[in-house]
Amino acid sequence: MVDAVFAVFQRPNFLTFVIIFLWGFYIMITRYNLVKKLIGMYLVQTSVIFFLVSISAKKGATVPILLSVTEPVQAAGYANPLPHVLTLTAIVVGVATQGAGLALCAAIYKKYGSLDEQKILERIE
Amino acid sequence: MNYHLPAILFLLPLFAGISMPLVCLKNRHWSHPISLAVLAAMAVISVLNLHSVIQHGEVRYMFSGWTAPLGIEWVADGLASVIMVLLSVLGLLGVMFTGPTSPKALGGRIVHYYTLILLLISALTGIVFAADLFNLFVFLEVAAISSYALVGVAGGKALFAAFRYLILGTLGASLYLLGVSYLYAVTGTLNMADIAEKIPALLGSKALVGGLLFIFIGLGIKMALVPFHGWMPEAYAYAPDSISPILAPFVTKVALLAWIRIIYWVLNASIAIYDIPILLLVAVLGALAAVIGASLALAQRDLKMMFAYGGISHIGIILMGIGQGNQTGFAGGVFYLLNDAVMQAGLFFLAGVAFHQYGVRTIDDIGRVGKQAPWFTGSLIVVALGMIGLPPTGGFFGKWYIILGALQADNYVSVAAVLLATLLTLAYFVKLFEAMFRKTTTPPEVQFDEIPLSLKLPLGITAAAVMIMGLLSSPIVQLLLNQALPPSL
Repeated sequence: MVDAVFAVFQRPNFLTFVIIFLWGFYIMITRYNLVKKLIGMYLVQTSVIFFLVSISAKKGATVPILLSVTEPVQAAGYANPLPHVLTLTAIVVGVATQGAGLALCAAIYKKYGSLDEQKILERIE
Repeated sequence: MNYHLPAILFLLPLFAGISMPLVCLKNRHWSHPISLAVLAAMAVISVLNLHSVIQHGEVRYMFSGWTAPLGIEWVADGLASVIMVLLSVLGLLGVMFTGPTSPKALGGRIVHYYTLILLLISALTGIVFAADLFNLFVFLEVAAISSYALVGVAGGKALFAAFRYLILGTLGASLYLLGVSYLYAVTGTLNMADIAEKIPALLGSKALVGGLLFIFIGLGIKMALVPFHGWMPEAYAYAPDSISPILAPFVTKVALLAWIRIIYWVLNASIAIYDIPILLLVAVLGALAAVIGASLALAQRDLKMMFAYGGISHIGIILMGIGQGNQTGFAGGVFYLLNDAVMQAGLFFLAGVAFHQYGVRTIDDIGRVGKQAPWFTGSLIVVALGMIGLPPTGGFFGKWYIILGALQADNYVSVAAVLLATLLTLAYFVKLFEAMFRKTTTPPEVQFDEIPLSLKLPLGITAAAVMIMGLLSSPIVQLLLNQALPPSL
């Protein structure tokens, strides 16, 4: 048990990821305000992106641009560029989703005059 | 030339969709014929692609010539090519149907509406061909964002359904991405074939198990598997009538296809994780989905709601076929997937015609359609026969092969679940027909107009396809057995 707790603190990035993810998930399921739900969703997306970046961190490595063209490449000296590219794409996807979500929120507000899920459900009936 | 067909299939709707607002800036009425032309071209190219795959074997397409583990790879094998043909043909029928039924309130925004449809179709093409886990994620999200917008496009009740779909869909996508990053952390690669080579050495790894679990839950939300199906019926039922037939056949089924790819092509299907064989899990989840979905459909009175729950139940039947772990079951499952796509499209075409032409939303009103609508009633009967699974239709042979596969695997629970789901499907269609043909004392007071040709064609072609796929079931299943089987079977 104690070992398990210590093991968790060995990897602060995993801990941070779990906290942000669950926080966002909690906001998504408990709040009735639609914009707050979107904020929770954004936290969930960001936590996954954070996880992807943090597992690819490397000590003592530099940016993935060759330092010298004549010497053989030492892969250990360079950071892996792929996760960062993936992250960039995932951020773009997240922004697009947020945009669609906020547009829907605006349309819902225009139609029902409220952003509260329960009030909207009452007015739909 | 044949080598580039998968990329052309993807780029055609993408560029047409993006350039649509420019091309149709002055004349918005061009957007419908242009979309029709693009989809018709896609249908032809996808048939050519299938032909070339059958003749010369699978195509592994490398983007910009970068080879597999480094570059992004697409695979046009038998499975992907067969599904692609169906996707483009049903897309063509869907766009044809969209013409007269599209929401009138859109006005000038109709151009953007067609842009979204074309983007959705190009993203679905991408999911079908993608052989790279991250590429798959991007296309899943492009398809999902287009469908959120399309569900909410007409406003009203659909807005809230679209918002729910967005929240749940994004949660699913985030879980999928989380799973992919776990797998990337363990294997160091994203290419499916490359991961498949590295997995046998890593079977004990907890990160692998966690990653797969997240991927399965994420895709489970996307495919409306039973505990996660909450978003699907409302989104499909409240979406505009012109959109449901485009969303229903494929948006959930491509997520199922991605699941099949990961189970059979990335993992070796016969592996057990912590002593639980994954295929058994798939079959059990399928049995639950099939029975629960059909029971919920029985409780509905709204036509589109009933058909959407029917779709949930059929996802379960497909999973049962996939989960048997033998060739017969797999081919049966894929054959049923093809049939189900046609039947779902047909059902939502029917629901759209019912409202657009006859003003009918629920089964309480359907009695007044009666004998005045030969096209509507005729194709409803044929598609219903397919959904129930009576002999001359494709639905029967799909279920037949699934049950044969289950018997070969000695999996009697699956056999019982398929039969139970069939009985429940029969029950809700009997309910529908009872309401339709009930003897009413009052003569029908309204005289309905003739259905326009662009609505007749989708109805007629889907109904004919349900029959033809049944009559040609033996060559199609043989084709699937020869071309579409995963290497491990």
